[in-house]
Amino acid sequence: MASFTIDDAGPRARSVQPRRRRPGAKLKRRNTLIGWSFILPNFIGFALLTLVPVLALFYISFTNWNVFGTAKWLGLANFRRLVHDASFRTALWNTVYYSVVHIPLTLVISLALAMLLNRKLRGVAFFRTAAFFPYITSVVAITTVWNLLFSPKYGPINDVLRFVGIANPPGWTTSATWAMPAVIIVGTWREMGYYMILFLAGLQTVPRELYEAARMDGANAWKRFRHVTIPCLRPTTFFVTVMLTIGSFKVFDIILLMTNGGPGQATLVLSQFIYNTGFVNYQFGYASAASIALFVICIAVTIVQFVVNKRRAA
Amino acid sequence: MKRSIPAVAALAAVASLALAACSGGTSTASQPPAASAGATTASGGLCGTGDVTLTVSGWSLSTTPEFKKLADAFHTKCPNVTVQVKEYDASNYSTLITADLAANAGPDIITQKEVKYVTTFVSGNQLLDVSDLTSQLDPKLSGLTSYQVNGKQYAIPYRQDSWVLFYNKNLFDKAKVAYPDGTWTWDDYVKAAKSLATALQAGGNSSVFGTYEHSWQSTLQGFANAQAPKGGILTGDYSYMKPYYERALDLQNSKAQVDFGSITTNKLTYQGQFGKQQAAMMPMGSWYVATLIAQQASGDADKFNWGFAPIPQYDSSTTGTDKTPVTFGDPTGFGINAAIAKSKVAAAKGFLVFAASTDAAKALAGIGITPALTTADVASTYFATPGAPTDALSKFAWTTHKTSPENVTDPRTAQVQSILNDAHTAIMSGSSSIDAALAQAKQRVHDEVGIG
Repeated sequence: MASFTIDDAGPRARSVQPRRRRPGAKLKRRNTLIGWSFILPNFIGFALLTLVPVLALFYISFTNWNVFGTAKWLGLANFRRLVHDASFRTALWNTVYYSVVHIPLTLVISLALAMLLNRKLRGVAFFRTAAFFPYITSVVAITTVWNLLFSPKYGPINDVLRFVGIANPPGWTTSATWAMPAVIIVGTWREMGYYMILFLAGLQTVPRELYEAARMDGANAWKRFRHVTIPCLRPTTFFVTVMLTIGSFKVFDIILLMTNGGPGQATLVLSQFIYNTGFVNYQFGYASAASIALFVICIAVTIVQFVVNKRRAA
Repeated sequence: MKRSIPAVAALAAVASLALAACSGGTSTASQPPAASAGATTASGGLCGTGDVTLTVSGWSLSTTPEFKKLADAFHTKCPNVTVQVKEYDASNYSTLITADLAANAGPDIITQKEVKYVTTFVSGNQLLDVSDLTSQLDPKLSGLTSYQVNGKQYAIPYRQDSWVLFYNKNLFDKAKVAYPDGTWTWDDYVKAAKSLATALQAGGNSSVFGTYEHSWQSTLQGFANAQAPKGGILTGDYSYMKPYYERALDLQNSKAQVDFGSITTNKLTYQGQFGKQQAAMMPMGSWYVATLIAQQASGDADKFNWGFAPIPQYDSSTTGTDKTPVTFGDPTGFGINAAIAKSKVAAAKGFLVFAASTDAAKALAGIGITPALTTADVASTYFATPGAPTDALSKFAWTTHKTSPENVTDPRTAQVQSILNDAHTAIMSGSSSIDAALAQAKQRVHDEVGIG
């Protein structure tokens, strides 16, 4: 069948080509130009504001640039300093802590929310919107309110904990032990709505008949979830995991506003380490080196995820 | 797609070349004027010659009237010079001005808001050497040393706030506690704070405290650095801060002061705590005088009698109105952009000298601002402001003090301060013991900054 089609199409195409070559090339060039003109406005912005700075960053990371004048080439000195920098290690550890807890937590909660709101429910549109609210609310407002809620002495959260019989509720953002869990709770609460929407979209694509067939075969709800929903959601789950991972590794705004890295260095994460080094201490070379470390970590984790995903797909 | 890759690469190459050429241009261009302009002295007197328009950087112009006041006063003195204030966002001032300077788009006169960045500007050749102006200044002008790098003067202070102890006379009367009299050490202060708290909270009102120390590191470390015999942020050993932290934790534990966690989580403001009479005392910078007067007039603060006293001292060797109390504070000053047009240099230098003069000091004092020159003459203008305290101790505290710089002019200052801030939040939140946090700060300063 296949060979027949090719044999048939081959000569025809060959015989037609000479006649059409010139107009075809012209058309192609025109299409390319039109294509370029469509992406050019965006591309100029991307090149000037993202691509060039990123390329410059790689150069700066090998220097001791402090904004003014020319930068002195240091070779790998910045990276050697990073390896021995205890603050960088603390920041790295805190970032891993945040990611390892935040990623699975958000994944599970947003999937659960999506399953919950994927049913025929009265006012489902309202609940879906409500779950999305935190994501579109200003992060400054969110952190201010959560800080009040977490207030160790006067906050409602600890009032509730005391009411249910916990005599010494945690100090949350004022305690080195509890500051990170507090930040993770807020981070999860803020992002679950966004990932819920992605999961909802994924759930719509799961064919009804698969559930029907599974039910006919006697699969209970858990088995249907385990063997129909999860495999069918794999592309969505993969996308969500990648986005969550990158987002978690570069978490910044919530931490800067809620704890500013404190108490002590309890919630110092990589992005904040970079920010402090660059914009507080004016060591832009060293800050660039730390950014590259963060970049390498993000890309390495993403590559691993792609490989794992590919293997599972095969 | 295949065709687009080389195109993208080519475009990126062109763009990065342009960037390299551009940055190379600015760095070479910014250096020669520093040398050549420095040689030009103020030949045309204070006002320079010809019509000149100077630009000065400033922030929050609606609530910070000093820039316009100085600009107008200088224009009155020198009608040929017009001074324009270029407004920057106050909280990002240093970052924004740095970006403008790096792009060679900075104003002629660069206001130095934070001393810790002076060395960055100087090492980047952004400021003109103005050492020749020092001979024209009043010898009583304070804060000059904060702008000296390698023996050269790079800016002239016009404003010098220093920390004093504000107190609410009504609450002291209510609690029947004697007002501060200028003889207090920190132990006397703690004792007074506790008696105030006990008396004021007796009626079951647990939200009024004896004192309010804001959550900033300077509220505590600033005094330790200035007063303790072995104090200093570049010493590399911070055990001298221990007694200061012990007192602060003692105040918190005995409920004489609101706890640190409540300040940070509830975002308490010092203006609210003292202005709404939630605390009977408060160590704070003298800038708060103008704020409190304004807020009492507008109704944002309660109306009550208040005054300010010299800040409590490390020991009795510096207490009493016959001695000079030690406190801290950083000046605010004007420097000249090294890339300024040659024709403007004389007028710009004239502006710097004028801003540090008695005339300018009086103009600033008239709007409640503490100038860098606090002579008796200037003080009488300052305390004549309606709403200002009139007692002798407030005047003494305002005019007599040895003010150590909060931020030493050194390239390592910014980094050391952020390490010490981590120690501050760790101790005050109770996350770490005093000894452990100060030892960690010592270790980090050693490892990360290379001191000690």
